[in-house]
Amino acid sequence: MTERDVVIRLLLGLIVVVFAFAVIRALAPARTVLAGAALAAGAVALVALNPAALANVEFWAGLVGFAAILSALMIVIHPNPMVSVLFLIVNLFCVALFYLILNAQFLAAIQIIIYAGAIMVLFLFVVMLLNLKAEEGLTARGGGPQRIGAVILGGLFAGLLFDAIRDRGPQPYFEPGSFASGFGTARELGGLLFTRYLFAFEAASLLLIAAMIGAVILAKRRLR
Amino acid sequence: MRAEFFLLVAALLFTIGCVGVLVRRNAIVILMCIELMLNAVNLTFAAFAHESQSMTGHVFVFFVMTVAAAEAAVGLAIIIALFRRRRTTDIDDASLLRW
Repeated sequence: MTERDVVIRLLLGLIVVVFAFAVIRALAPARTVLAGAALAAGAVALVALNPAALANVEFWAGLVGFAAILSALMIVIHPNPMVSVLFLIVNLFCVALFYLILNAQFLAAIQIIIYAGAIMVLFLFVVMLLNLKAEEGLTARGGGPQRIGAVILGGLFAGLLFDAIRDRGPQPYFEPGSFASGFGTARELGGLLFTRYLFAFEAASLLLIAAMIGAVILAKRRLR
Repeated sequence: MRAEFFLLVAALLFTIGCVGVLVRRNAIVILMCIELMLNAVNLTFAAFAHESQSMTGHVFVFFVMTVAAAEAAVGLAIIIALFRRRRTTDIDDASLLRW
């Protein structure tokens, strides 16, 4: 088992744990045990049905893709912002796993450190600080037609994107082992960042400073 | 794996985020949906970088993450300022600049 396999397994475990926690948080306490049992039964049934699939990267990617889309839907559907934050963390872990499958190890690491570590803690902090209660459902409050229109337009937009992807024609396909050994490592990315994209890198530091000062000034009680 | 799978997942995630921005009223959830859309675009960048064996896409993902961090910090500060004034994070109540 290589380091990559270890990390992938760790991430899968994290996804399951956070997902279960988010589901538990989303449901009423009485249904908590039921949800946990259903999750465990589903996992056991999957392994029992097709043990060979466990070694197949397509199987895992499909499973993680399913989890990613399910959690994205839960973010939008669930009225409680706290649950939305938890499901967004699940989604970010899923994308980090996709990065690992795509040979982008460094991106997977900073996805977890920056997104799941820093940005989501900020979101959680604000949701808890403001003590936000659940929205009054997703039932319309004057905006009914807008919501239905948004869903229909979203479906059309997805169709447009799918059509664009479908018509790409045959593309080259690379086995995971055929990559240059440096592809996706911090060393290669750093080499690019500090040579070809040096100006953009410095501009990004300026942007971060501006955002930091802006955030402090905006959140201050009164400017003095 | 083929890049198409990742492109399809990213397209779906982007669409869900887009619909979320239009459907939800809570400003924090809208910010989260924007993060979701940025993530979908990042996934597309990584898939194309994988397909073309070039790391330029990874550099772009790096910069998108930087901008997302800055955007989240400023956006949440605005939401806190809004909540302090109006005691709500409902964007329907923040209509001063609406025509």
